Amino acid sequence: MSKNPLLEIDDISKTFGGVVAVDRCSMTVREGTVIGLIGPNGAGKSSVIDLVTGFEHPDSGSVRFDGTELIGLRPDVISRMGIIRTFQTPREWRDLSVIDNVRIGRSNLARESLFRSLVFARGMRRDEANETDEIRGILKDYRLDDLRNSRAINLSGGQKRLLEFARIAAARPRLTILDEPMGGVNPVLGERIGEAIRDLKRAGSTVIVVEHNLPFIERTCDEVVVMDLGSVIAQGAFNELRDNARVVDAYLGNDDG
Amino acid sequence: MIQYWTAILTEAAIFGVLALGIDMIWGWAGDFDLSAYAYFALGVYVTMILTIGKPSAPVEYVLGWHLPYLLAVLISVVVVVAFASLVGAVALRSLRDVYFSITTLGAVWAIYYLVENFTPLFNGYNGLSGLVDPMGGGLSYNAYHYLFFGFCLLVLLLVYLLVMRLSRSPFGRMVRAVRDDERAAAVYGRNVFWTKYRTYLTGAALAGLSGSLFAAYIGAFNPLDWRPTEIFVLYAAILVGGRGNPRGVVLGSFIVYVGFVELTRYIPSPSARPELGPALRQILIGLLIILMMKFRPGGLIPERLGNDGSQERRSLGRLLSRSRSSARDERAPTPLPVESADS
Amino acid sequence: MNIFWISVGSGIAVAAILALSSVAFTLEYAVSRVVNLAHGEILTIGAYSAYVGENNFHQNLYVCALIATVFGAIAAMALNFSLIERFRNQKPLSTLIATLGASLILQNVVLIGFGGASVSYSFAQGNILHVGPFLWTILTIKVMVSTVVVAVLIYLLLQKTRLGKALRAISQNRELAQVSGIPARQVVMQTWAVAGAISGFAGFLYGETIGTITPTVGNGFLLLSITAAVGGGLGRPYPTLGGAVVLGLVMSIASTYTSSAYQLVIAFGFLVIMLLVKPNGLFVRGRTNTVRA
Repeated sequence: MSKNPLLEIDDISKTFGGVVAVDRCSMTVREGTVIGLIGPNGAGKSSVIDLVTGFEHPDSGSVRFDGTELIGLRPDVISRMGIIRTFQTPREWRDLSVIDNVRIGRSNLARESLFRSLVFARGMRRDEANETDEIRGILKDYRLDDLRNSRAINLSGGQKRLLEFARIAAARPRLTILDEPMGGVNPVLGERIGEAIRDLKRAGSTVIVVEHNLPFIERTCDEVVVMDLGSVIAQGAFNELRDNARVVDAYLGNDDG
Repeated sequence: MIQYWTAILTEAAIFGVLALGIDMIWGWAGDFDLSAYAYFALGVYVTMILTIGKPSAPVEYVLGWHLPYLLAVLISVVVVVAFASLVGAVALRSLRDVYFSITTLGAVWAIYYLVENFTPLFNGYNGLSGLVDPMGGGLSYNAYHYLFFGFCLLVLLLVYLLVMRLSRSPFGRMVRAVRDDERAAAVYGRNVFWTKYRTYLTGAALAGLSGSLFAAYIGAFNPLDWRPTEIFVLYAAILVGGRGNPRGVVLGSFIVYVGFVELTRYIPSPSARPELGPALRQILIGLLIILMMKFRPGGLIPERLGNDGSQERRSLGRLLSRSRSSARDERAPTPLPVESADS
Repeated sequence: MNIFWISVGSGIAVAAILALSSVAFTLEYAVSRVVNLAHGEILTIGAYSAYVGENNFHQNLYVCALIATVFGAIAAMALNFSLIERFRNQKPLSTLIATLGASLILQNVVLIGFGGASVSYSFAQGNILHVGPFLWTILTIKVMVSTVVVAVLIYLLLQKTRLGKALRAISQNRELAQVSGIPARQVVMQTWAVAGAISGFAGFLYGETIGTITPTVGNGFLLLSITAAVGGGLGRPYPTLGGAVVLGLVMSIASTYTSSAYQLVIAFGFLVIMLLVKPNGLFVRGRTNTVRA
């Protein structure tokens, strides 16, 4: 496992209408690790994700992914560099079938060219058919194979979470950023999600997990970053941070304990 | 009688092409465009000024060439797409959704008043007249119209096959993903603006093409022939047939078009009240749009889901039964059971 | 006499009416999140009901104004009850499409009822007065004074009444307002009544100013109202008011140099510039650096 810095967040700040959401935040994520990003509500965790993935632009600071500056790039450009994120609520393409939802995770963009779709339709259909076994394998992993031809909107909340992981598995990102993957999830499904994160790591992805469920973070993550009031107040192994006074004060002490 | 039906079906075929274009923009990409009728009209105007020759005073319009029909069609489509690329660039740029509709609504009225009042362009309020003859003359009136009907059907078939191919391609899937959730599509590397823009221009090209066909069907064209509100007939057709499904859209355009023409024959139209027939027709279209939106947004043949290819092609009968069942599960999304995890 | 100032003077009168229509449009959006494409038809209904009133009530200006206001309110409430509320759980775009259907229906019902030819009011225009550089008739001055009065009433309604407070709460978040005890359904209905009353009155004023009305009179005003509202800040009454004043002046100044037939073209140009430069609205300070995917 290499330990090169994959994502370097350097001194980024963001103000929304006078409210400081992110305040000179810096952190480094090494390749191949699973990082838990924790902190009390309003600590700026989700804002940092938005800034890294291009959905918001910071007022100052820089974000480098594998040495490339991300600030100023559009979300889709950042995604094509190998970063996939989720949102707090699962998002599916509601009127597409489940299997198409996963196919979009996989399919390469050249195939979606308007010209090629018109002229080389048969070749593309063959390419897609060749991929079907692999896609269905992923669907089976997440117990969605029986539902592959139904509309994604018809899935239950838990199944939508799993669909999201299936899509990520198909996309094979270098960096996965999960925003509260355990929100509204029952314990049994939670086990499965922990498993999915370990699978992602095994497949070579670096993972950042924003989560409130601390036992889950402890089980799943190699390292924890604690945020409060828009900046990082501590970074290290979970056990070390348990005794860090600032962390306890900001978060552990008055929340889950 | 046969002439009557040829005329109606020719128009239905031309509007089928237009409806397929509009459906790409609305059905696939989810952008409710109100300016497509202006692209259709532009297609008519440009085809006419390229083929009917020089104007004689007091009529005035630009160009006035005598080009072969097919070349004129090609140029018209290019002109329409170039024009739509401007409107689309503004309307799709940042705020989309209802703002897109507002912008295209503004665009269509601006174009309408410009064409109506700026006479040097297309002779303004009085419009253009002249025969656009794709066959180069020499045919009797009837022979021309039968032949042209065949030509329109052929174009419709060709367009349908291409649109169907595109609809089932990875491109069509991506466009719909962008429609369903723009942010999620961006997270998976899709350029939302570029996706919608390409779809918009393709739809506009089909609108221009249908305009070119219409130019060869009529002998005169003026602003009264393309009130921007006419586009609602096409939306009614798309809603009835099945939004997002090319097969449904073609079916819908024939049903609505033929249906309305036939229906209007039974509406009393006293000479003292010439507005009565068209007004009742518009009211019916308004009602149709509202009722379909409310009770059957999927239409007769709802959008087809991409599947894993294990389901074989269907016959028409099975297709209809499938459309019923999928319309049902759209209305009442039954939550599927969450199974226990044991992996 | 400077032709420029005369033109601006008549522009101010239209701008004043536009301001009322746009504020009504923006109120509808504020409480129902709907771009109401049938808004123009409420103006039309106001204008035509005043026309009927004029024929039956001996041309009393004030009675006709009242009739237009009442019928505008009734039309808007009916629209809200029969359509907007029923599409409430659907996407904004679906509601927009439904209102488009309603616009088609209402416009053609008026067409069937009154015919396609224009009808005219016969109110006396009154003497022509010189006010500064402007040239106005008594009637125009009455129109302008009444728009100012209505604008003040709207301000008082929004700031000083319970309905105003509830309305503002709902425009922020309907669910939240409902949870905190605001009877959302009634407040929305009352807001539509107010918006309809303003629209009906504006339709009457417009008919009065230009003298003749047709079944599409309101529809022509729709695009201007949308442009003013979007330009100023959709869903926000005061920015919308500002947008209407700016648009009205831009149009009246521009149309002194070109034909008035190009008014809508100019309005569209204004809309495009607004959308490109300040998509959130001219008078709204907000997050403009947010990237939408």
